[in-house]
Amino acid sequence: MADTLPATRFNPWSATIFTVLCVLAVLFLLPTVGVLLSSIKTTREISMGELWSLPASLYLGNFAEVLGSPAVHQYFLNTLLVTVPATAVSITLGALAGYVFAKLPFRGSNALFLVIVAGMFFPPQVILVPLFRLFNGMGLIDTLWPVIIVHSALGIPICVLMMRNFFATVPNALREAAIMEGASEWQVLTRVVLPLSLPALAVLATLQFTWIWNDFLWPLIFTQSDDKRTIMIGIVNLKGQYSVAWGVQGALSLAASLPTLLVFLFFQRFFIKGMTMGAVKG
Amino acid sequence: MEQHNRFWRIALLSLPLAVFGLFVVWPLFSSFYYSFTNWNGFDPDYSFVGFDNFAKIATDRLFLQAAINTTIWMVAAIVLPTALGLMLALLLDSRVTGARVFKSIFYLPICLSAVIVGQIWTWIYQPDWGLLNTIIAQVSGEKFKYAWLAKPDSALWSVIVAWSWQQTGLSMVIYLAGLTAIPGDLLEVCEIEGASPWQRFRRVVLPLLAPSTVVVIALSVINSLKGFDILYIMTGGGPFNSSDTLAMHMYNESFKKYLMGYGSAISVVLFLIALAIIGLYFRQLRKVDRIYG
Repeated sequence: MADTLPATRFNPWSATIFTVLCVLAVLFLLPTVGVLLSSIKTTREISMGELWSLPASLYLGNFAEVLGSPAVHQYFLNTLLVTVPATAVSITLGALAGYVFAKLPFRGSNALFLVIVAGMFFPPQVILVPLFRLFNGMGLIDTLWPVIIVHSALGIPICVLMMRNFFATVPNALREAAIMEGASEWQVLTRVVLPLSLPALAVLATLQFTWIWNDFLWPLIFTQSDDKRTIMIGIVNLKGQYSVAWGVQGALSLAASLPTLLVFLFFQRFFIKGMTMGAVKG
Repeated sequence: MEQHNRFWRIALLSLPLAVFGLFVVWPLFSSFYYSFTNWNGFDPDYSFVGFDNFAKIATDRLFLQAAINTTIWMVAAIVLPTALGLMLALLLDSRVTGARVFKSIFYLPICLSAVIVGQIWTWIYQPDWGLLNTIIAQVSGEKFKYAWLAKPDSALWSVIVAWSWQQTGLSMVIYLAGLTAIPGDLLEVCEIEGASPWQRFRRVVLPLLAPSTVVVIALSVINSLKGFDILYIMTGGGPFNSSDTLAMHMYNESFKKYLMGYGSAISVVLFLIALAIIGLYFRQLRKVDRIYG
């Protein structure tokens, strides 16, 4: 409420800042708006140079084409089949290890923690060839399994980091009291500590979901046939198929971004918290 | 009690450590091993070639090009998203109307996939109807059809700009968190003492933001080493390898030419570069902690 402030006089300084921010915001939004516009225009309109103008009419043919395609359904299904289990597994593993680092430290546990956390800084190319050979030997190439497994493993550093830091804020007295009452360490973790850690779990769930959904490299390496591809690879495949069907590409890009956009809009708070807590993927 | 603790440590740690060890640590060391072989990606057999792959790196013209491009990318990554992110954070920190909406707009790109970002920016650079050429044509009044991504002179920089667009929000968020930690009293004292806004920024705010700057720069550099997806989408490293990076070069040698032994050697070099940067980062963090912590 402005009633506690003195009558606001015109402040040229904050008006300037506001204008500058507005200009920057428009510049920042333009690329995204371009996709929105392309999805509701015909390819003919776009190639005539009318992508960046406001649409005269709403053309829904691109969405009809994308949403009616069985290949696209398969891409979405595959992406979901990778993202949901990999998110759940990486957070679970992170919680298990994070609990030990926070509540049951031992000699060298800090060094081990640092080594694991350092894992999130390395470019994935460093482990590409051996993983390809490993999964090739197991006969898992061109299935979703290697993608799920690798995302679960690569999510461990960030999950361990966040879970340990959050568990450290849960008072030790709580754990000790529960143990006195005869609870096992497992019960302390699942019944006492985890229910208190919902904010950290929410942060990790939003981050992991977004990253795994958006990932391109691992499905590119581990899958080959079209019915095993995820949506991000699907977009690239489609680009080859409909090389100038820009409207269709725009509609698919929008549909593919929708889940992460929704997660972002609803869980923005968690998302930013995760990003500032030392998240370095991207 | 000690026995109880040991049992639970092993019980809770074994699964995460096994997964991490098998699918992250072990492959890392295997990369070193394969870098001394000539494995081609599908034959089960291979032979040891000693340091041949590393000798090849020293004479590989494309590797040199990729190394130079990676360096350019890193330097740009230190400057562009950092400076822009800091500027946005400072503007937003002045409690301007609609700060929350602005904030959301600036970090929205972070949640987009690199594939989508690459696609969007390919359209901005599209020679016939792309936004950039359209604007240039409108301003200059002449037809303008420059193919930004297809020209060796501009391909790399065009991708770097697109990448910075996505990365800026991350820097901004980290700087904003740093700014909220600066006590308001301190800034008031500055004002009372008659410091100009520039002096206040240069002498008080910027030094106090040093920990954020270390994090922002380190993240930008580390993320620039990972620059692959967006490059793959926008230029594929072309034209004529003019936008190749080390990560891209490693992928091409391993999975396009099936020289997995040579690709492993490149990944070893990539690992050592990353290790050096991370070592530097952790040292700086500790230094900053000592001074400001």
